[in-house]
Amino acid sequence: MELNRRQVLKLAGLGVTATAVPGVLAACSNGSGGGAGDGSVKFEGWDYEATLVQQNLDNFTKTSNVKVNYTPITSAQYVQKVVAEFTGGGGPDALYVYDDSLAAWVEGEYLQPIDGLPGVDDVYAAIFPGNAEAMTYQGKRYGLPYYTDSNCLIYNADILAKAGFSKPPASLEELEAQAVKIKSMGLLEYPIGLPAQLSDTWWAWVWGLVYSSGGDMFDDQQAPIMNTTDTVTKDVLTWLQNAANKSKVLDPASLQLLPVPVDNAMKANRYAFTIGARYALRDYNDPQKSKAAGKMKMALVPSLDGKVHGTISNTRMYGLAKDTEVKDDAFKLLTYLGGFDASKQPYTAKFWFQQRGLGFAYKELAKDPEIVAALKKFADPAIYAQLAEIARPRNVLGVAWYTEFETEMHKVVQGVLSNQTQPSAAVASLAQTAGTLKKKYS
Amino acid sequence: MSVLTERRPLGDNAKAWALNAPAIVVISLLVAYPIGYSFYVSMQRNNLKRPRAKRFIGLDNYKALLSDDAFLSALKVSALFVLVVLGMTVVLALLLALVLNERFRGRGLLLSLALLPWAMPGVVNGLMWRTIFDAKTGALNGLLTQLGLIDSYQAWLTSGTGAFLFTALAQVWNTLPFSVIILLAGLSTIPSELYDAATVDRAGAFRRFTQVTIPWLLHPLLIVLILETMNAFRAFDTIYVLTGGGPGDATTTIALLDVQTVLTFTDFGLGSAYAWVITAITLLISVGYIGLLYRKGNFEV
Amino acid sequence: MTTVVQVPLRYRVPFKKIALYVLAVAFGLYLVLPFYWIVAMSFMHEADAIAVPPSWVPVHPTLENYLGFVNPDAAQELVGGRAVSETPYSLRNSLVVATATALLNLVLATFAAYSFSRLKFRGSQVLLLLYLLTRMVPGIAIIIPFYLLMRSFGLLDTYLALILSYTTFALPITIWILKDFFRSVPRELEEAARVDRCGWFRTMWSVFLPVAAPGLVAAAVFAFMTAWNEFMFALFLTSTTAAKTIPVVAANFATDFNTQFTVMAAAGVLAVVPPLVLALLFQRKLVQGMAAGSVKG
Repeated sequence: MELNRRQVLKLAGLGVTATAVPGVLAACSNGSGGGAGDGSVKFEGWDYEATLVQQNLDNFTKTSNVKVNYTPITSAQYVQKVVAEFTGGGGPDALYVYDDSLAAWVEGEYLQPIDGLPGVDDVYAAIFPGNAEAMTYQGKRYGLPYYTDSNCLIYNADILAKAGFSKPPASLEELEAQAVKIKSMGLLEYPIGLPAQLSDTWWAWVWGLVYSSGGDMFDDQQAPIMNTTDTVTKDVLTWLQNAANKSKVLDPASLQLLPVPVDNAMKANRYAFTIGARYALRDYNDPQKSKAAGKMKMALVPSLDGKVHGTISNTRMYGLAKDTEVKDDAFKLLTYLGGFDASKQPYTAKFWFQQRGLGFAYKELAKDPEIVAALKKFADPAIYAQLAEIARPRNVLGVAWYTEFETEMHKVVQGVLSNQTQPSAAVASLAQTAGTLKKKYS
Repeated sequence: MSVLTERRPLGDNAKAWALNAPAIVVISLLVAYPIGYSFYVSMQRNNLKRPRAKRFIGLDNYKALLSDDAFLSALKVSALFVLVVLGMTVVLALLLALVLNERFRGRGLLLSLALLPWAMPGVVNGLMWRTIFDAKTGALNGLLTQLGLIDSYQAWLTSGTGAFLFTALAQVWNTLPFSVIILLAGLSTIPSELYDAATVDRAGAFRRFTQVTIPWLLHPLLIVLILETMNAFRAFDTIYVLTGGGPGDATTTIALLDVQTVLTFTDFGLGSAYAWVITAITLLISVGYIGLLYRKGNFEV
Repeated sequence: MTTVVQVPLRYRVPFKKIALYVLAVAFGLYLVLPFYWIVAMSFMHEADAIAVPPSWVPVHPTLENYLGFVNPDAAQELVGGRAVSETPYSLRNSLVVATATALLNLVLATFAAYSFSRLKFRGSQVLLLLYLLTRMVPGIAIIIPFYLLMRSFGLLDTYLALILSYTTFALPITIWILKDFFRSVPRELEEAARVDRCGWFRTMWSVFLPVAAPGLVAAAVFAFMTAWNEFMFALFLTSTTAAKTIPVVAANFATDFNTQFTVMAAAGVLAVVPPLVLALLFQRKLVQGMAAGSVKG
């Protein structure tokens, strides 16, 4: 080790070995992989509720005798940091994985498939197909589910009632009409709010609007169709443009709102509608945190034609590092977190729902009386379950350029919202972006 | 200068390099390799998520920049950002330094306040201004409404121009102190005889300023220009927190695009090429500044 | 400039004083108001802080935003993140890292700057520009190789990694500031000391450096601020409370799932106070130091 370091310095000092050095560096870092090196499982995740995670891990160590070395990482920089660690040869043994990054992390050789490991088939048979699809890449399975969520329309039933509406809108036309009424009655200046400031997280609501109307931006071969055979994206963008600029029911401030301020506005009765993840309802309906508690309801995302087509879902999973030296223990941990326990119950999935309302991938849990009882406190279990049934993951997660496309898409949608880009130009530009990226990565 | 020519003891060369050795060792150990490596990477197709596609491509990354819309747009935004930030910083810092160079009640307090923004990390600065510019609950909206200047709360960061200007304002606030101190320091060394002489010549305040103050301040001013150009070109924290680069591309500076390319898109090769373009531009500008100093004849190293 | 005759001004510019005070007040407000607002928020309850119209002073003042840092368990439930519990540690880390950076930087820069101010040597101009060049390469370009380097040294998540990085960041500029300052220190001082048969180090320590103190203070404060404010390298090189610095934790507040404005404001205030106190303590020397350093020697 010591010698290696000196070598590195010497080589670096000579400045001629730019190619060799990373190799040497990687060699320095205890052999092939990462890991804690003391036999414990090195586990990393973004820092959502890190204290609860640690408690749950302590419980695992008590029952299994496997030591876990857990490091929570700032959520906004989680992906970047994990990439840096794996590139440097110091990645964890087990880790959280966004469905957004799965393809890249498999291609980058960070993760290994878990097909054939004990219990995996059972898990995949027990979860919603959309979640199974999101955790599969090129025919191989890479994760056990941490949580999932799907997008819904969240509305303030109180404000709707004041405006004379007893039912939430089923179509986008109705949504706009209800919002116009609310606006004209002076109840709210802008009844609809959406988080549309640029950030590194995906804009679920755009995908949600497209999927709820039965459209898609890409076909199954990941070729862009939003500019050709599928007009839904363009129609949705047209609707957004009108809502923001003609009927002015969509708050122009959306362009500088991140998700948290939108949550705050919903909880303060300042918007009647938003499109968001189901689990937000738990917070919105918590009297300690929200002035709107008890009034917030969920519905399917309205569609262009008012019929039910689907919605978007995301899946967060536990993955297994390719180079782990403690594979057995790491997989035990994975099973504890994302699989079934001895009594065939998805223990941790249930734990997260009960503690924080995180959505579960397991179909059976929807019928669990404890879950239903807890769910009733903040949402309608029937709609909650229906959303899970109809939800699909984004079908371009498997392409290497997905992140670039998503980022570009945010900018294009911002252009439509601020009336600087026409919907037809917007979809053309999206298709062109996809084409350019595809070429760049070929 | 006369002192130097008097006597030049032998061994100055060796002594000087020995004195520089510790700094050189630390710098070359720690950054020489990363800098060299990044230049090498800039000539690679090197996306961290596709390790198998990695290969040497010479100057292709650089050639591709010419038709890279994202890059060209970011370069434009950056150029404008540097111009606006630099302009505001220099004018405000000079004015503030001139004020602080006078004697008046509360001068000490104002000087302390002038140091305040320096102590604020860029991330915190971004968070602070985000709270202030907030469309729903922001202090700026509150203040302007109470003063009767606006009728209702505005979403300041939703138009391209608005976002750009407010981001520049936030950046200037954060970087002002360093320039103020350097300029104030320069002002405080102007011999009063110079002013007296100018007064004898019956020069008005404005002419005194242009004929005495400005020439004397040239050197500190150029230091401010170099450092603030470097800073503005690399400004990242504040913009990232405040607008994330939006709306659209309005505040996507080259620094922001570079961070996004390397960290979010994991395109290490292209990102390194971006970085070297930034380096080349900053170097050119700095050399330009230094050349200016040479012409004035008072740059000595 | 032989005969300076004190001619009384024929007429004073009558509005000069007024203009001065107007400008001073305007600048004062510009500088202090944004910060005042987060200080005020940090003593408010969340509801008051986001009230429309805003209340400019805390109407129901509270310390609970600060107490959360002392007793993070109570705050966990409230904010739903680790940022609060990590704030005190990160302040400690930032202080240690910034102080050490300032000192190490001072030692290295003093030697180098002295050579530029006192010795004429071959390659000095190139060397000086090379120093500056290392600062012109954006951090993002070198962060990944730098990370690999630190990892191979086994220094990830330690103070040393940060101290070393920030020293390399601050060093070039510090050398530039100090070399000009040293040049303004009269040579006669050293000559006199040499006559008294003081050794070189002795001369430096007891004669040269004390005279150069203002310049050293300015350089140290500059290095301290550089280290205190840096975000990106700290983000990558640290991962736990063992070395995380305040900008990294502050970034958490920006992205946390359930951030409260008031807690964020309190953390912001805490992040500013230590370097501010330092700057204020050395205020006078700071300007003196820059004075000689930036003009010409």
